[in-house]
Amino acid sequence: MRMRPRLPLLVLAGAVVLAACTPTSSASPSSTGQPSASSSNAGELRPIRLLLSYRPDVQFAPFYVAQQDGYFERAGLDVTIEHADGGDLIRLVADGQADFGVADATDVMVARTSGIPVQYVSTLYQLFPVAVIGPTGSVPTDPAALAGKRIGTPGPYGSSWVALLALLDAGGLTADDVKVREYPQYNQVDGLLNGDVDLITGFRNNEPLRLEAAGMQTDQLTVDAIAPLPGPGLIVGDDLQAADPELVTAFASAIAQAQEAVIADPETGLQAALVEVPTIAEDVETARAVLLATVDLWAADVSPGIGWIDPDLWATGYRTMVKLGFIDGSVPVEEMYSAALRFD
Amino acid sequence: MGRGRAQGSARGGRVKALRRLGFAALSVAGFLLIWKAVVVVGGYPEYILPAPEVVLARAVEAIQNGTLQPHLAATLQESVMGFTAGMAIAVLVGILLAKSLTAERVLSPYLVAAQAIPILALAPLLDIWFGGGLTARIVICALIVFFPIAIATMVGIRGTDPLLVEMARANGARPDQVTRLLELPSALPVLFGGLRVGVTLAVIGAVVAEWTGASVGLGVLINIADQGLFDTPLMFVALGTLALLGLTFYGVVLLAERALVPR
Repeated sequence: MRMRPRLPLLVLAGAVVLAACTPTSSASPSSTGQPSASSSNAGELRPIRLLLSYRPDVQFAPFYVAQQDGYFERAGLDVTIEHADGGDLIRLVADGQADFGVADATDVMVARTSGIPVQYVSTLYQLFPVAVIGPTGSVPTDPAALAGKRIGTPGPYGSSWVALLALLDAGGLTADDVKVREYPQYNQVDGLLNGDVDLITGFRNNEPLRLEAAGMQTDQLTVDAIAPLPGPGLIVGDDLQAADPELVTAFASAIAQAQEAVIADPETGLQAALVEVPTIAEDVETARAVLLATVDLWAADVSPGIGWIDPDLWATGYRTMVKLGFIDGSVPVEEMYSAALRFD
Repeated sequence: MGRGRAQGSARGGRVKALRRLGFAALSVAGFLLIWKAVVVVGGYPEYILPAPEVVLARAVEAIQNGTLQPHLAATLQESVMGFTAGMAIAVLVGILLAKSLTAERVLSPYLVAAQAIPILALAPLLDIWFGGGLTARIVICALIVFFPIAIATMVGIRGTDPLLVEMARANGARPDQVTRLLELPSALPVLFGGLRVGVTLAVIGAVVAEWTGASVGLGVLINIADQGLFDTPLMFVALGTLALLGLTFYGVVLLAERALVPR
């Protein structure tokens, strides 16, 4: 993690101190892309700052498992988990103030096009987690039928907005053909329950469960079959990727292994989340349901392995993002991701 | 002789105004220099802290391509309407609090408690209760503006010289006349203190309201620039515009104060 000193003298002093303190160790990949279990300096763990979006939640179970069950430690890493908003998260990772982050692939495309040196290195969600959600029977299967609907969404930014515009575009529509109501505090569920909107955008592993808990059964219109977009994944700054690709592989591999453990036994993930986020204990059943829905979105069975980056999906998503005007196509899609894991 | 004194006084006024302008220009230049120095010395990339000239260029671009104007117009409308509504109610409540000990005892705990609740937490509910849209945003803005003006009105009215009040009553003034012709004018210096605070809060109120639910406004532009476009210079343009809006409002209140409060 790089800290920016505030004064020239501090820059000099900091450089000396950092040079003295920077660990020389990092896990090295095996022939399958898996890191070796120990660092080169035995017993010395490399401090890592990881930024997750949103807030502490059961959906981040693989990170909690990796920390509690020693996956990070075996990769030679001492990981501190923090949370940040999407925009800040990407900037902090790009600037080296955090080593890794979890971000939407679509945000990475926009950030990269805006000149922010960040790249996507490993997929966490093989399926795009955002969908248009509404009461059972009210969600059209044809996106063209969204015309005239009142749709609640956080705002004209982020993955929800991208998903909505992608669906509308697939149906030959634009945002002008629907009545959008903004819920920047992510309380669009309240708007739907209140009858202020007909449909909402939301995360498939969150909003439907909250609506169900409030007594509303729901249907979803997902983007995957209509306008496929790559889902959230691990991101890293260009500097770290260039300086220490073995570290990036070691980190991504540790997460992939922990994710695999949670897929094999979701209860492991739930217990780890309970340790990290004790408030989950107040409603364990909902937390379990969220985790199971999240595991479905990881969709490990449709990919050659956990963490796989699908170039075809990225190419399709990139074209959609250009068409919708989110990016101008000036940065090639190949420069936006760099697979940390190999699948030979 | 008299004309000479008057000319001298006018010249003195111009010199004072120029000096004041000079200080303001120096202050702005100093701020920009420090900002630039921090960027250069700290080696900050544009997406973390853009340099002032980058923000200025982005502002010109945003004005030329029409990005900024609709957002500015929306925030201007919300903050002016929110401030006006909040001020009107706050002055009335302030008078009531000053005049009635019972009202103060009954209402004060609620007013103070309401101040302790972060409006950002309450705003999503207000947005739903008031059906979203401009009305909800004006209510949120007015709520933020309300407290300092209400308290300033109460304190100002209570600070009226009791001998003058007694004299007015002795001369047959009705209670409403005492309030209108004596207490309110007497409360103006304190009331304007509350208005100065309230008017800057109006801008914050409008942004908070926009963060609760809006499709246009400088608060929305901040979110779009930050989370949608990752355009940090544009975010600074929105922030700078908000600052200018606050300064303009403050200046208007200051001018009103100079016109209405005898020195």
